[in-house]
Amino acid sequence: MRAATTGPSSVSAPAPRRPTRSRPGRVVLVFGLAALVLVLMVLASLAFGVRAMDPAQVWRAIFSPDTADPDQFVVLQLRVPRTVIGLAAGVALGLAGTVIQGVTRNPIADPGLLGINAGASLAVVLGISFVGIVDPLGYIWLAFAGAGLAAVAVFSIGRGEPVRLALVGAAVTAFITPLIALVLLQDTEAFNQYRFWAVGSLTGRELATVGVLWPFLLVGAVLAFFLAHRLNLLALGEDVASALGQRVGVTRGLAGVAIVLLCGTATALAGPIALVGLVVPHAARRLVGSDYRLVMPLALLLGPIMLLAADVLGRLVVPNSELEAGVVAAFLGAPVLIAVARSRKVAGL
Amino acid sequence: MTAVGVRPGRAEASPGVGRLHEVRRRRRRRGLAVVLVVAALGLAVALVAASLGAAAVSPDRVLAVLLGQGEKVERFVVLELRLPRIVAALVVGWAFGLAGSVFQAVLRNPLASPDILGISSGASLGAVWAMLGLGLAGIWVTGFAFAGGLLVAVIIWAVAWRQGLHGIRFVLVGVGLAYVCGSAVSWLLARGDVRQAQQALHWTVGSVADVRGDDLAGLLLGVAVMSLVVALASRMLAVLALGDDHASSLGARAHAGRVVLLAAAVGLVAVAAAIAGPIAFVALIAPAIARRLVGGGGAALLAAAVVGGVLTLSADVVGQFAIPGLMAPVGIVTGLIGAPYLLWLLARTERTRA
Repeated sequence: MRAATTGPSSVSAPAPRRPTRSRPGRVVLVFGLAALVLVLMVLASLAFGVRAMDPAQVWRAIFSPDTADPDQFVVLQLRVPRTVIGLAAGVALGLAGTVIQGVTRNPIADPGLLGINAGASLAVVLGISFVGIVDPLGYIWLAFAGAGLAAVAVFSIGRGEPVRLALVGAAVTAFITPLIALVLLQDTEAFNQYRFWAVGSLTGRELATVGVLWPFLLVGAVLAFFLAHRLNLLALGEDVASALGQRVGVTRGLAGVAIVLLCGTATALAGPIALVGLVVPHAARRLVGSDYRLVMPLALLLGPIMLLAADVLGRLVVPNSELEAGVVAAFLGAPVLIAVARSRKVAGL
Repeated sequence: MTAVGVRPGRAEASPGVGRLHEVRRRRRRRGLAVVLVVAALGLAVALVAASLGAAAVSPDRVLAVLLGQGEKVERFVVLELRLPRIVAALVVGWAFGLAGSVFQAVLRNPLASPDILGISSGASLGAVWAMLGLGLAGIWVTGFAFAGGLLVAVIIWAVAWRQGLHGIRFVLVGVGLAYVCGSAVSWLLARGDVRQAQQALHWTVGSVADVRGDDLAGLLLGVAVMSLVVALASRMLAVLALGDDHASSLGARAHAGRVVLLAAAVGLVAVAAAIAGPIAFVALIAPAIARRLVGGGGAALLAAAVVGGVLTLSADVVGQFAIPGLMAPVGIVTGLIGAPYLLWLLARTERTRA
């Protein structure tokens, strides 16, 4: 089989003997383009929508606000918050996915598959149904706590072993999902609130949520970057990593903390968004090779690009209406994932 | 692995091979015995299920009804109201168990199940779209669910096929499609009337409560045909388990066998999910239990099917009667029973290895 040429690992992400690395010129080009696209996405997110605006109006709205102008009101009150939330949630999802795939060395690991989204959802459902929380700001802590508990459970039973971790994640998801359904089938009112949260969207959240959550995002992101070199060593295999002086347990523990912080932030901000965390690391690896010191910063750019692109597209596909970012992200992400799956590299996994 | 290529005529020549045959015979007999015990357990549960309910009928009266005796009321309650549900639970569980077992063996991945590969999600999307998007009901929902499941399978197939069917590619594409279907379902559920959306949610959980005559006949026919196909093609499994290269070097037509088995498994899931909804986790947990009970090979397929049927029927009984006043659909209970069991299995596996 082709496995013989790509290394012995059975279910790992591409794990060659040393991290492959694209030529420096190409790396600079990729990062430059990604940064440019991100800036364009932010502008598009501010300008496009049911009420389209040209960049000059956007500029005026932000730098010389005039509260009497309805266009400026739309930009300041609706589009700036959802753009900021999209940026924050996108960064969190991109980095979280990269750390998850790196530490589990499993190409299909992401917050959805590891039961983390299910944990957040259950907490939100219980909060709505039994505590009677109606304020979306109240969902934040529930989502955060639920995601954290699920992640801790999955990682402590799965112990970072790729196949076990995936199975434990599946089992935890399968245990939690029926509980959610059980509550929702009994409580129509709770279902009515929950179903809008569960789609995954950047709207209806206030800027205040970012104000509350940014420290978690910052710590999670710093941890993720700190872990890049350790993940490179771990990609060589657990034995090699520990022979090279790495304490694998510490790496896993830190990765677990980073994952909880990042996934918790993302889910609290935007609801359970599928596929962004799965697709971004794959796309980043294709662009700059498997060195996590390059993959991590690129994921930081690609995550918000993908989420904002999904959000902007969702405003444009249906005239006078909107598709939620979570739905569009899934439809955007699936072709990318399929392209990765069809590429030659995956055959050897 | 060792037995491949050993001709039966040589068995007497070498005592070692003779012992091997003896061991395998004993294992086969043990497997069969286990399957019979599980099946007997299933019959007992079925008897309980037929006698419990608003109008209690004692088990001996149930037997009498089944033998053609009994009063008119008893006959109506047992034969018309309860039997279809019991048979549906058994057959649907059989289908999911068998299909999951085939997926896991052919794709050589313990996670490969219709839930994670998107085939169940495709059926859900078809049904939810029919109910909420098009305002259909009844047989139309069944038809759309069936078509949705098949369509997802065909797409996975078309996309994952590249000079043959590689397990990991099939799985990755399936996971991607599962997310797409799942998102579309959440989106549909967030539109429209709450009550209708809640009914659609109920469908996606999976339930055998409303299965009646016509549905049941179609279900039985479809599952019987697919099971027969799997039984005929199952000889390939032991060879396929060695991997594609070994399989073809042993002269097995690996691709043909793989295609037939996967197609039959997809058919089983599509039929069962169309009738009862995607009952969560049976396809993942039943094969896992079966492997522990009888080991690998062809016996595991039969065992997975029987375990699936018994698990689903038991879950349905628990869902109906465990908490008075709360009717939990079967799809909720299978996950709640199945998941902790799988976690326990996983915890155990590590201990034995260490």
